[in-house]
Amino acid sequence: MPQISPRPRLRAAVAAAAIIPLIALAGCAAGGSAKTANPAPTNGVLTVGLLGDIGQPPDPDIYYANNGTALIINTYEGLVQYKNNVSEVQIAPRLATSWTVSDDKTVYTFKLRSGVTFHDGTPFTSAAVKVAFDRRIAVNGGAAYMVQGVKSVDAPDDLTAIVTLSAPNSAFLDELASPFGPKMESPTGLTKNAGSDNAQTYLMTHDLGTGPYELTSAQTGTKYELTQYPKYWGTISPFTKIELPVYTDPSALELAFDKGAVSMIAAALPSSALKKYSDTSYSKSYFLPTLQSALITVNPSKSFFSTLDARIAFMSAIDKKTLVKQVLGERSEVATTMYAKGMISGGADKQTIAYNPSKMKAYAKTAGDKKLVIGYATGNTNAEQIANILAAQLIADGLDATAQTYTTSTVFGWAADPTQGPDAFIDGNNGPDGGSPYLWGHVFWDKSGGIDYFLCDNPKTNELLNQALATGDEATYIKAAAEYESTGCYLQLSYNKDWVVAQNWLTNVPQAQNLGANEVDFSLLGIKK
Amino acid sequence: MLVYLAKRLGITLVLLFVLSAIIFFLQSISPGDPVRAYLGANASPAAVAAERHRLGLDQPVLAQFGRFLAGVVRGDLGLSFRTHRPVTTDLASFLPATVELVLSAFVLALLLAIAFAFSAALRWPASGVYRGILLIGATAPPFLLAIGGIVLFYQQLGWLPASGRGPDDPGPTGLLLIDTLAHGDGVGFADALQHLLLPALVLAIAPAISIGRILRSSLESTLTADYVRTARSKGLREGRVLLSHVVRNSIGPAISMSGLQLGFMFAGVVVVEQVFSWPGMGNYLASSIPVSDFPAIAGVTLVLGTIYIVTNAVVDLLQAAADPRIVA
Repeated sequence: MPQISPRPRLRAAVAAAAIIPLIALAGCAAGGSAKTANPAPTNGVLTVGLLGDIGQPPDPDIYYANNGTALIINTYEGLVQYKNNVSEVQIAPRLATSWTVSDDKTVYTFKLRSGVTFHDGTPFTSAAVKVAFDRRIAVNGGAAYMVQGVKSVDAPDDLTAIVTLSAPNSAFLDELASPFGPKMESPTGLTKNAGSDNAQTYLMTHDLGTGPYELTSAQTGTKYELTQYPKYWGTISPFTKIELPVYTDPSALELAFDKGAVSMIAAALPSSALKKYSDTSYSKSYFLPTLQSALITVNPSKSFFSTLDARIAFMSAIDKKTLVKQVLGERSEVATTMYAKGMISGGADKQTIAYNPSKMKAYAKTAGDKKLVIGYATGNTNAEQIANILAAQLIADGLDATAQTYTTSTVFGWAADPTQGPDAFIDGNNGPDGGSPYLWGHVFWDKSGGIDYFLCDNPKTNELLNQALATGDEATYIKAAAEYESTGCYLQLSYNKDWVVAQNWLTNVPQAQNLGANEVDFSLLGIKK
Repeated sequence: MLVYLAKRLGITLVLLFVLSAIIFFLQSISPGDPVRAYLGANASPAAVAAERHRLGLDQPVLAQFGRFLAGVVRGDLGLSFRTHRPVTTDLASFLPATVELVLSAFVLALLLAIAFAFSAALRWPASGVYRGILLIGATAPPFLLAIGGIVLFYQQLGWLPASGRGPDDPGPTGLLLIDTLAHGDGVGFADALQHLLLPALVLAIAPAISIGRILRSSLESTLTADYVRTARSKGLREGRVLLSHVVRNSIGPAISMSGLQLGFMFAGVVVVEQVFSWPGMGNYLASSIPVSDFPAIAGVTLVLGTIYIVTNAVVDLLQAAADPRIVA
């Protein structure tokens, strides 16, 4: 038997030292989900993990992104909100207990809730409505447009506010109910902390709202902390403190949740984690209604899609059912309408482009330009998968298709020159500011709206949308949608839901969410007895 | 020495100017629209255009560059489009976390490198095992090492936390280890140390190997030098031979490599900060790039560039101190 010299023995030891931990790690990872339930907190602290920083200051007149909406809706309140725990667009009371709308949609009269105080102790009265609207105009953030049509705000008594608009607007209540809509801010606090920037500096780290929680710490990129407002007029939850630590890696966030260090994750994890959380003993997944969707848009400025035939052939080649099942899973359902789900009664705004792959196969044979790029936003794994699947399918049809990633700022830069964009773009998750069909159609279909990436515009659609805005007439909205569908530029792929994964001791999650906010009202959550 | 320092300062200023010019050139050809980061994704084109004008982004790039340089001279790096705060305020908040992580990792790397070099050069028992472990660690990509470390030390063993820095910073330096000690907060110090250990280790392993290898080969070469043999034959104790003759004559290349690695660690901290949710400049940069927040990107680049250049200048000075022939 040959002798093993000391050197090879040493090498064998090194190899073993390296391999054993790897095997152990593999075993650990494989068995990661088989664990017992995490205990509920006994110190009144609810920890909600954020994936990435909130992106903008938590000032209700500036914040116009997604990740930090929870901070806004839990520290501030508007006059109205969307009704919780329903899948249709319904306006519900908040700081206004009731309201009336004039027939011509120009005068909105609100009866306000009594006994409400701002976090600085100032009583909430009708005078605050004008102050809040005025600040929104002065700060001029992305959602300032919501009050730009306000002609006057009258306060005949402390608990009545009359808002008069300069033009009819049937979507005004939807704008007020939006998480980005105007929120009430303490007039005293705004004056006291005005500085030279309308209190913008102050509201980066404080709040002046009436909501169930106060913003007590804002460390950008690190964590945010809310503390229960003891004089809140509404439901008082068992959670006296909400901590929102910022995670920058989804795996780290998942691990923290698995260990019980995070109590809840709202709309942050990729679909690839769905399976893991579908059958755990320690967590519960909630799929809650939203106005968000996955959308596919094509670029008529590119030679491939310059003809209607090409656009219709491409849209017909999209197998929505398979894509939604393969990529989006339980958090989405196949979209059948032009607007978001629940915006038009009975889903009467049907999409009519049907799946018919033979159209694209036939078109590909005759196409002069066979090259096309399908874009998706960097970091959106669902959109990336959809783009890759579509590219593979088009290659099989005989085209030279590729999927390509673009940063968010690049995506929004295309509007300046659509020829710089890709041929098609997969928008993995996007939505309107509110539940009115106008807010959907104007934003996605009108080149002056904001998210018509490739400026595919149809004047007739815009005209019908503007008519419908004045009257609120659903039939006109349906006509506008049909007009826009005829451009072949747009396809709604899926209705996306908010996927909230929570420790199984957390209760009332669906009751604390509404389809407009995409976030949870922490004051309505509870702990399982 | 003063002339030498003045020359280095002059070169630093020129390099930073060139760096700034490159950033602005890239900004001017980038198709991105940073105003969306400022106003929000759904902002209307009219609102975007108005804000672009207010921020001066519709001016020629040379005018913007001139304004930026004038601001830099005044210590004003502009306003971050994303956070709406002055970039200097953001940097003051994020830089200490990065400095603490990188310096801790650097100290760890030096300790590991010294242990590696001496154990190999002096043929200590089990030095091969130690070398093997370090080599395996150094060849793994940092993100894999980080995830492996989190799974093992956080998920399975529960020994170390996986994200963040731990306690709130009581100030004044922003370096948690120092601040907690200064406030006599032993629990906070231990918490901060626990949070620091894993990311620092992940960041330290690859530089440890690079520095250790250089130091080992220098040591091996010096150990066989005539003057070392002479010192031993004169009856000097081994420890004194090592410290006075071997280490001093071997350390020059290792100092040079250490400086290089320190610069690389600042540049490469982004991935480690991302995985460990470490609220430092790397994360700040990673969040700023996708939304084309150019003031933030330029600010971070200038700070990292300055650190890199200053580090190299300090290394040159240290080398000169270790071996006066270098200045001559």
